[in-house]
Amino acid sequence: MTAIDGSGFMTGGVSRAQFLRILGGLAAGAAVPGLLSACGGGSGDSDSLSLVGVADEKAPLDLLTKAYTDSGSGITFKTSYAPTDQVQTSLRAQLGGGNAPDIHALYPGSGSAMSTTDIAKAGLLADLSGQAWTSAIPANLKSSFQYEDKVYLFSSGLTVIGTIYNKSVFAAAGVQIPKTWSELIAACEKLKQAGKVPLALGAQTQWVTQLITYALVASHVYRDTPDFDDQMIAGKATFAGSGWKQSMALYMELRDRGFFNDNPNGTTLEQQTAMVGTGQAAMAVQVAPLLPAFRDAATSSGDIDMFPFPSADTAEQVYTWSGANVGIGVHAKSKNKDAALKFVEFLGQQENINTWCEAVAAIPLKRDASSKVDPALQSFLPLIDAGRVAPVGQRWPNPEVQPTHFTVIQDLLAKKITIDDGLKKMDEVYRKSS
Amino acid sequence: MSTPVLEASPTAPPERPARRRRPRNRLGPPWLFVAPALLCYGAIVLYPSASGLLYAFTDWSGLGDWSFVGLRNFDSLLHDDRALGALRNTLLLTVAIVVVQNGVGLLLALGVHARIKSRMLLRAVFFAPVVVSPVMVAFLWKYVYNPEPNAGLNGLLGAVGLGSLRQDWLGDPSLALWSVAAMVVWQHAGYSMVIFLAGLEGIGKDVQEAATIDGAGPVKRFRYVTWPLLAPATTINVMLSTIGGLKLFDQVFAATGGGPGYATETLSTVLYKEAFVFGRYGYSTAVALVLALFVAAVSLVQIRYLRAREDQT
Repeated sequence: MTAIDGSGFMTGGVSRAQFLRILGGLAAGAAVPGLLSACGGGSGDSDSLSLVGVADEKAPLDLLTKAYTDSGSGITFKTSYAPTDQVQTSLRAQLGGGNAPDIHALYPGSGSAMSTTDIAKAGLLADLSGQAWTSAIPANLKSSFQYEDKVYLFSSGLTVIGTIYNKSVFAAAGVQIPKTWSELIAACEKLKQAGKVPLALGAQTQWVTQLITYALVASHVYRDTPDFDDQMIAGKATFAGSGWKQSMALYMELRDRGFFNDNPNGTTLEQQTAMVGTGQAAMAVQVAPLLPAFRDAATSSGDIDMFPFPSADTAEQVYTWSGANVGIGVHAKSKNKDAALKFVEFLGQQENINTWCEAVAAIPLKRDASSKVDPALQSFLPLIDAGRVAPVGQRWPNPEVQPTHFTVIQDLLAKKITIDDGLKKMDEVYRKSS
Repeated sequence: MSTPVLEASPTAPPERPARRRRPRNRLGPPWLFVAPALLCYGAIVLYPSASGLLYAFTDWSGLGDWSFVGLRNFDSLLHDDRALGALRNTLLLTVAIVVVQNGVGLLLALGVHARIKSRMLLRAVFFAPVVVSPVMVAFLWKYVYNPEPNAGLNGLLGAVGLGSLRQDWLGDPSLALWSVAAMVVWQHAGYSMVIFLAGLEGIGKDVQEAATIDGAGPVKRFRYVTWPLLAPATTINVMLSTIGGLKLFDQVFAATGGGPGYATETLSTVLYKEAFVFGRYGYSTAVALVLALFVAAVSLVQIRYLRAREDQT
């Protein structure tokens, strides 16, 4: 029989201290497996692949992972998606921590936290060079897919920067699609007189700031100097001493003529989208994957269309920004690397490239009779087929150049700095080591 | 032969029973209960922090190998215009937040301490923003700060005949920092209010009544009775708002991302971008280390000064 003495301790059986010690030990023991499992990563199953993608690419990846599972491959997927900034942050941390997923989002070229060059340089990407689809990579975009002549990025196709516009607003103001810079200025004047914002600009969303520069630089730098990136890397060219200066000047001409909405630095991407969708504004320079968002914001989705930004003095001189769309890579240290590589090979089949591109309004790497390019992008196809494209910004030497460009544009819009100051700052950042 | 017997002194304390000593080499139940939390804290806070000390002296990119670079990261920090600008912004934000948040918090506390019928409801209303996620608050205020003339705050100003005061609240580089500060004050003034309110509740009615009998009016009662006796609450509020201001990240990142340009960049946004956007983990860790030391130094100086003030009262 157990009795309790005056000190509170049991004189027989389990004492209070022993009881508490046992409980404490159990609590400590219970915490360890939980902690260890929280630190784990990767699927580890040979018939299951983990995939972390960008939210923008969820629709095609959901379709294609399901199709692959249904095709009798015996593979299932554990997928998760997040917006670009979160994906870049978490994936890089996972790669650094050694618990990356088997397949993950990957950005073309260099100059971002999850860009192909940066991750391949660290030896963390599996080589895709032997796969059949790689022969469709256009010669002028190879640097976006490769590092040291090996392909590491799978991207289904190309995306473009162009002018998304509201057809009803154009029709009401009697404006035709401009094909040259002077026609654009005239169209903007006419739209402004009609009480519309000619060009909506949501520069508070920082990445939006770069789009007009890129659209202009394609014509004013890369048309005459297609090897501009090589010259920059070799230290033979600068932003300040190139067509970048003229491009920035044209950008700010649009500001000075009052063609943007009031306070672009305080306007977000969502507000920009709504302005064009509702007809308050006529145009916005944007990336093609946002076409669905503009259509959603429009009274009638048929009101929304797109044309190449008329960045040059003649239609023949107009080049367009076009680059590889965000894609995926295979983790070099994945336990399921072979299975992951087979899945990428499956994605590279023409019908699957078409499926992916249809879902995100991209242009397939290689088109066949079954390819359905979004009607709004038809006007870009002649430029792409003629090689009048430039993937501006996909070969920055370090990830700081692009954000510096954002801040330079915001400061220029606020008239806080001069174009020369801004380009000098960009040149300084470009020369920093990665 | 008799042995002398020593009698116990009547004033001597009664003999205590011998205390049972616990063996030192065994972990007692309290430690075992604390162990899971300590394990988590060690793995999530202490280990990364200690690792951070090391990485501050390396060129680690977050991927692959690294090498020691001595004090180069700290030297770069001293010559980094963006980081120095962020330090300036952080200090300005902190001063604005400490002064205004605590001023508003004190006024709110005095208001809801008064004998008014709806004081409990008002306390809940003023405290409500504190429980909302900072990111949610930032998104909410982005609507308030909509630059369109008929939207948000601008719309309200127009409606009350103050249309000339409409601003591009987050897009104007000269205004954006103060717009962020106002957003932070709106969220946290209720927190300061609660702490001041606890201080006010602790001041005895008899002290106030004695001052009233001695002829002190409301202003003198506040100046010579209430305010000195609120010294401990003031210490806590100033400390917490200073630390919060110096570490400010969520609201800035969600509302402006540090822009326009670098107008609202803070030390916390700089260290985030350096690590997760630019891939310079070594440099970012150096910024984080300097920020931590800076916060600790400012807090220590403050606490010494404010405690001295408390002792005088």
